[in-house]
Amino acid sequence: MAITRRQFIKQSAGIASVGIFMPRVWLGDASGQERLSNSRRKLVVIQLAGGNDGLNTVIPYSDSRYYSLRPALSFKQTELKDELNRPTMISNELALHPAMKEIKDLYDAGRVAIVNGVGYPQPNLSHFLSMDVWHTANPSGVGGAGWLGKYADIALIGKQGISAASIGGALPKSLFANRSVIPNIQDFAFYNFVGDPGYPGDYGNQLNVFTAAAARGFDLGTFQSAINSTSFDAVKGAQQLQASVAGYSSSVTYPPENPLAAALKMASRIITTIPDASLLYVTLGGFDTHSDQIDHPGGQANKLTGQHASLVRWFSQAVKAFYDDMTEHGMADDVVIMEWSEFGRRPEENASFGTDHGTANPMFVIGNPVRGGIYGGQPSLNPVDLDAAGNIKFTVDFRSVYATVLDRWLETDSQGILGGRFENAGFLV
Amino acid sequence: MTNIAYDEAAHLLRRLGFGGPPEEISDLASRGREGAVDYLMDFSQIDNGGMDRLLAAGFDLSNPDDPAKFNLEEIQRWWFTRMAHTRRQFEEKITLFWHNHFATAVSKVNERFMFIQNQTLRNHALDRFDTLLLNVAQDPAMLFWLDGVTNVRGNPNENWARELQELFSMGIVDAVTEEQNYTESDVKEIARAFTGWTVRPPGRTDTNRLNYQFAIDPNQHDEGLKTVYGQTANFSGQDIVTIIAAKPATARFIAKKLFEAFAYPLTSSSADKAAIDKFANVYMTSGHSIKSVARAIFTSDEFFSSRAMFALVKSPIELVVGSVRMLGAIYNPGTLQRPGGSNILADASSFLNQQAYNPPDVAGWRPNLAWVNTSTMLNRFTYADFFASSRTANPNAPGLWLTHDQLKKLTKGSAKKTVSKFLELLGPLSVDAATVRKLRDYLQVNDGGDVVGFSPDDRTIDQKVRGLVHLIMCLTEFQLC
Repeated sequence: MAITRRQFIKQSAGIASVGIFMPRVWLGDASGQERLSNSRRKLVVIQLAGGNDGLNTVIPYSDSRYYSLRPALSFKQTELKDELNRPTMISNELALHPAMKEIKDLYDAGRVAIVNGVGYPQPNLSHFLSMDVWHTANPSGVGGAGWLGKYADIALIGKQGISAASIGGALPKSLFANRSVIPNIQDFAFYNFVGDPGYPGDYGNQLNVFTAAAARGFDLGTFQSAINSTSFDAVKGAQQLQASVAGYSSSVTYPPENPLAAALKMASRIITTIPDASLLYVTLGGFDTHSDQIDHPGGQANKLTGQHASLVRWFSQAVKAFYDDMTEHGMADDVVIMEWSEFGRRPEENASFGTDHGTANPMFVIGNPVRGGIYGGQPSLNPVDLDAAGNIKFTVDFRSVYATVLDRWLETDSQGILGGRFENAGFLV
Repeated sequence: MTNIAYDEAAHLLRRLGFGGPPEEISDLASRGREGAVDYLMDFSQIDNGGMDRLLAAGFDLSNPDDPAKFNLEEIQRWWFTRMAHTRRQFEEKITLFWHNHFATAVSKVNERFMFIQNQTLRNHALDRFDTLLLNVAQDPAMLFWLDGVTNVRGNPNENWARELQELFSMGIVDAVTEEQNYTESDVKEIARAFTGWTVRPPGRTDTNRLNYQFAIDPNQHDEGLKTVYGQTANFSGQDIVTIIAAKPATARFIAKKLFEAFAYPLTSSSADKAAIDKFANVYMTSGHSIKSVARAIFTSDEFFSSRAMFALVKSPIELVVGSVRMLGAIYNPGTLQRPGGSNILADASSFLNQQAYNPPDVAGWRPNLAWVNTSTMLNRFTYADFFASSRTANPNAPGLWLTHDQLKKLTKGSAKKTVSKFLELLGPLSVDAATVRKLRDYLQVNDGGDVVGFSPDDRTIDQKVRGLVHLIMCLTEFQLC
């Protein structure tokens, strides 16, 4: 396959960040516990990177302390209406951000579970450590394989071709595996091994030499080994991927200029055309709203615009488009979407129209298989209940949510992956 | 002064620079270990007139309010012109190191501030760490990036105070003792010390339109007592920088960061911790001199050990700039960013996920295996193909060109010698015999796969030698430096 100079320049000038999974039985010991599932069940994980402001996503509008802690950022009850003037309350205590009308519609239809107060003991306020905690399901944050990588090593490794993928520029640590190379896809157009456009007849010779070199063995655990096996899988998997995703069609219009929607559309192209594809991972960044999380032209706060409103609107519209696409493909009963973020934000706002790093946060689990509703205890904003940094205390361990997804949806024993038994959070039958 | 081996000199140049042609490597080898390191590090003595003339002729970055001449593409083109054309390679490499360390990005910060910060990093790259840290802290880019300008007394913003400690100086835990370096209370109190820090734009009549000045707004600065690391006083932000730069934990963190970026990744073994301590000690005894620590690392036995050789994964910028310098390709930046290639080195690096001035977050680009996934590898191979097939009839046109004449100069009389030559130029890479044989065979087969032999005629050079460059750049060995 040739790529022209013009294509390369055009592409490289406007980078788009946006990932698949292939078994790599020769990466290491292949004698582990194999559990080949024939299930059609699929999991889509959405990471909101930077620390989503949970208190302004699922809003405790009946709590006077929410208003006293956030004089500028809080939504008054009268402001809790979407653009169609419909109230966004989901209970006597909680309402969704007004920019999330699509999620609100899905919630009303019973397709959304909101798990409140999700966190872990001794919360870490570093983005990077807290992300590691969530990625590895290990509160000490000591690296190693990710929880989904461990799942893949057990459940997906025997599958033919692409069974998991990450959409984006970098493979998230959740998908770091010991025995599997999980592919990343940024852009389908460039997901291929290309040759000299001047001599298309030489492509076969080039591919042969490349493939022979990439099939070499290097010492396990070295950079060389990782690079070589990733390269081999990349080129091999690219051919399958290109052939498959070309067959995608859909009448669903994904919202433009919404990076999460673009990534979920790519996920849909994979999940709807490759039967074994069952684990997809997408990321939306930008949630680290230390300042200007709302617009405030001339000091006048406008909470319906600004960084946070844009981000949750992207999330809401993207999830709805993806859900509709799954429905159109007859797959809506097969897909569970799980959202997470490394922490919430400080209940008390700062003077920059923003919020600093926080702790526990609501999580969204979305899809037809989900039992819609509100789960977990809403953490108290009472001063005596806040920790020394002024942050809320968690009520649900994030590993309970993982365990529920693993045990109840993916039918894989969570104990082996999470290193312990965690309570079923209840949002799946 | 004893010579060092050619391979050692090539290693030194790949690490302290981006690599280069055999003459540059041989010259370094003849200078001996310390001589070569000093030559690269004392770069102000190296004549850089050629690059300076290119910059003077090709850029006008004097007015940040002129978007046609001052924009992200232009400041990228400016930096990549430097990286590809400088004879002072270490100046660019250490500036890039600090850009990644104090990761600041155009995703939030105006291009003019990123350009100003690049000068700040450049000017203080080998200074005392205290001086570098203070200048970065007072520079507009960081003040906007981590919300210093809106950090005011009463309700401070913690963004800078946290990353200052976690990412820029000492880390959450000590690199050697693994003890916790600071508490959440320290974060809050340090945030108070930096309240009121702000930036004043150039005056209306100031002809230097990039003359942004640091200032402290007394009305917004918290003059109260702060308790930091167990001590209570009315600390200013500058006091905090001084206290942090003097901490042994900072010495270890900075020594480790420099070592891992230029030598090899460390483990938690006691030997590796001893290495950190050794270089941290240089930091403490040299008055926090970055240059002293860096020089100690670059002249150390560790740096030249077999463990260090090809122990790092090339970053995209290293890969792209390195390919140009190693093969003597032409990068002609032209006189203004235009579609079609004048900013091609920056664009290619972005395509490989390293967009200059735009690291992904405050922790910067992650090293080594973080660069390796199926998508980034395919993109590296696509770049290799693009580079290898960069033909031109007009090498004076803006863009990246690997000319026929240059390839002809490098091509040898036999397939065997030609493969050896290009493996040497692009590393020098040590590759197993079976793979070398495949590369030789490639040079000698036609499109149908029949062996037709190798003769270095124009057609063979244009097809097969370019194809060889592509294939070598796809090898696992080439991804390392």
